[in-house]
Amino acid sequence: MKNNIKQFRKDAGLTQDELAVKVGVRRETIVFLEQGKYSPSLKLALSIAKEFNTTIEELFILS
Amino acid sequence: MLTKSNKNMTTKTYQRIKLFLTMLISIVVSTSIIHQNFFIPAITLVASFLVLLFLRKKVEQVISDERDILNGGKSALMAIQIYSWIAVISMLLLYSLQGYNPNYEAVALTLAFSTCILMLVYSAIFYYYNKMQLTNSRSLYLIGVIIIFLFLSIFMLRVFSGEDSWMCENGKWIEHGHPSYPAPNKECK
Repeated sequence: MKNNIKQFRKDAGLTQDELAVKVGVRRETIVFLEQGKYSPSLKLALSIAKEFNTTIEELFILS
Repeated sequence: MLTKSNKNMTTKTYQRIKLFLTMLISIVVSTSIIHQNFFIPAITLVASFLVLLFLRKKVEQVISDERDILNGGKSALMAIQIYSWIAVISMLLLYSLQGYNPNYEAVALTLAFSTCILMLVYSAIFYYYNKMQLTNSRSLYLIGVIIIFLFLSIFMLRVFSGEDSWMCENGKWIEHGHPSYPAPNKECK
C-alpha cells in the first residue's frame, strides 16, 4: 500500500525515531511503512494520521 | 511509577544483555545436566527473567510492536509446521528401524507425542484467540480450553506412555503393565 507518511513526516520536521516514539512503534516499522512494505493496523494508521493532523485517506493510497 | 529520567537504556543495550543472558542460561543448563543438578538452572532461569523484566522498564524505546507480533505469529506457525513435518518423517523412519535398536521406538513415540502436544496447544490457543473477540466472557472460554487441553493431555499421556510394553530382562521378554500386543519376535539380548 502506497502512502505519504515520509512527506508528512518531513513537513512536520520529525525523524523516523521521533515519529516511532510518538505513535508507539519501533523505528524499523516506520521504515517499512514509508517504503510501502507494511500495511499498518487501523489503530496505528489512525495514530499516525492524528499525529499529522490529517486523515487516513490523505495518508494512504489504495493501489 | 518510573519517570522518564529512569528510562535510560537503549533497545540495543537491552538486546545485548538479553543475548548474554541467553548464552549464560545455555551454558548453565548444559553444565548442570552433566552434573545432574536441576536446582541451579531453575534459579538461573527465574533470576534472568526477573532481570529482563526490570531492564525492560528502563528502555525508553518500544521493544516490540504490532509488526513484531504479526511476524511472530507467522514465524510460530511456520516453525510448528516445519517441526511437525521433521518429527513425523523422523518418527516413521525410527519406527521402521526399531529392529536395529529398540531405543528407536521410544524416540519415535516421544517425537509423535511432542508433535501432538504442540499441535494441541497451538489449536487451543488459536481457538481461544479466535473466539474471545466474539464474546465478553473471556475467562470462561480460557477455563474451558484449559480443561479440554488437560483432559486430552491426560488421555494422550495414557495412550502414548510406554508404561504397557515388553521389556527385555535377562534374555527374556517380561510384561511391563498390560501390553495390548504380543511379545516381540526379535531376540532379547
